[in-house]
Amino acid sequence: MFKTIKEILRTGDATVKYPFAPLERPEHARGKPEHDAVACIGCSACAAVCPPNAIQMVTDVQEGTITWSINYGRCIFCGRCEEVCPTSAIGLSAEFELAVMSKDDLEETCTYRLRACAECGEYYAAAKEVDYATRLLTQFQDDEEAARAAALTRVCPACKQKADAYRAKARDELTGGERPPMTTNAAPVPATMGGAQ
Amino acid sequence: MIIDRPVPDRLQHKLDQKTLDESVQKAKLALLNDIKRSVYLYRVDCGGCNGCEIEIFSTITPVFDAERLGIRNTPSPRHADILVYTGAVTRAMRMPAVRAYGGAPDPKLVVSYGACGCTGGVFHDNYCVWGGTDKLFPVDVYIPGCPPSPAQTIYGFAIALGLLGQKLHHADIVEQPGEQAPLRFAEVPYKARVTIEREARRLSGYCYGKDLSDVFLRALEKDNGAGALANVSALIASQTDPRRVEVYEQLRDVLLNMADDGRSEAEMLKRSLETVVPLGGSCEALAVLENAMGHEGC
Repeated sequence: MFKTIKEILRTGDATVKYPFAPLERPEHARGKPEHDAVACIGCSACAAVCPPNAIQMVTDVQEGTITWSINYGRCIFCGRCEEVCPTSAIGLSAEFELAVMSKDDLEETCTYRLRACAECGEYYAAAKEVDYATRLLTQFQDDEEAARAAALTRVCPACKQKADAYRAKARDELTGGERPPMTTNAAPVPATMGGAQ
Repeated sequence: MIIDRPVPDRLQHKLDQKTLDESVQKAKLALLNDIKRSVYLYRVDCGGCNGCEIEIFSTITPVFDAERLGIRNTPSPRHADILVYTGAVTRAMRMPAVRAYGGAPDPKLVVSYGACGCTGGVFHDNYCVWGGTDKLFPVDVYIPGCPPSPAQTIYGFAIALGLLGQKLHHADIVEQPGEQAPLRFAEVPYKARVTIEREARRLSGYCYGKDLSDVFLRALEKDNGAGALANVSALIASQTDPRRVEVYEQLRDVLLNMADDGRSEAEMLKRSLETVVPLGGSCEALAVLENAMGHEGC
C-alpha cells in the first residue's frame, strides 16, 4: 500500500495540460504545411507528388494565371511537398490546431501570372518560375551552355524545338547534308565482359 | 478528366441532403450557449482504416484524458450529443451512418473526423465512397489530419463546444507585381550548393538533410573574414553530436573533391569563394584548391 502510494507520487501527473497550456511539440512534428507565397515559383512539383491531390494547380489560359491551391481537409501530412520543393517554399510546420466550423476555411489559394512566349505568344510557364530559372542560369560565369539556355528562357519549348530544327536545316544546307560522325561517350567494355582484347 | 461528357442525371444517384429545421438550429445554439453538463459522444466508423479510432482511443486515455473536460464516449447514439464520423463513407456504410444520425436526439453536433471524414482524403475520387460526411448531413466541425493527433482532437471538440476560437481561415493570395522568389544561398556557386544539398539528403534524408545542408551553407556564406573553409572547420569543431560531425566532414570532403576535379567549376568555385571571403583558412585546404588550379601551394 505504502509502496503503491510512493510509486504514484514518484510518477506524478501524466496528463498533459493542453488545452489550458500550449502543447509542447517535438522538432519536425508533422503539422500544417506552411506555404510561403513569395518563395513559391508555381512549378507544380508539389501538386504532382501530392498523394491525395490536396495540392492542385489550375491553369487559366484565358486570364493568363496559374492557381495553386491546398485543401487542408484532404492533406495527409506526408511531407512529400516539402521533399520536392526546389525553393523550400512549403514545409510542414508544428501548427496542429486546424479544426474549423466551415469547410471553406480549409482551403487556401495562391494565384501567379503565366509567362507568354516571346515568339508565338502562348503561355508556357509561371512568370516567377521563368524568372527564377533565368537568375539561376546567369549565376554561371563563362559557361556558354548556361548563357545560351538563359537567352532561351523567354520562348516556349515548342518554339525552342522549332528554332533547333531551323538551325539544323541551315547547317545541312551549308555542309550539303554531311553530318559529323557519331561519337560515343560510353566507357570501353572490359575484356572480362566480352570486350575487345 | 477521365469522363469527358457529363453522366446523364438518370444514371446518377442523388443523395437527399438532410437539412436542419429552424427550431433545431435554434435549440442547438441555445445548447451551445448554455451547456452546463458533460457531453457524450458517439463514434461512427464509416469505412476508415482504424487509424482515427486509435487516436480517439488515445484521446480518452490518461495522457490526454478528454474525460477531465467532460467529454465521454458512449456506446449508443441515443445518449449522444456529439456524433463523430470517421472514414470516407463507403456506399455500404451510408445507411448505418444515417440511422445513427437519426437515432441521436436533437440538438446534436456532427463532427467530421480525419482527412477521410472531411473530404474523402486519399479515397476522395474512389468509385465506392461518398467522399466525406457532409455529403449525407450538415456537419458542424471538421477535424483534419491523417489521423488527427489527440491534441488536434481535443482542439476540435473545444471548437465544437465553442470553448476555443478557430485559427484557420480561407485565404486567396495573388502574386504582387515585381515579386521575385529569393535565390537560396546566392553567394555559394550553384553547382557547389546543389552538390552539397544532394549529398546531405543522401546521407540524412530530406528532412534532417535539409537542416544540415542549410547550416553548412550558411557557414560557407558567412562573411567574417576568416575564410569559407575555416568557417566550415569551425562549424565542425563546434559540434557535439558525432553524427553531425560525420555528415559535415563528408560535406566538406565533397566540396574539396569538387575543387580537386580540375573541371571548370573548380576555378569558378574558388573565385566565388574568394569574392565572398578572402581564402584564408587552413593551409592544407588552400593547398588542395591551389593544386586544382595548377599553382603552388602556400
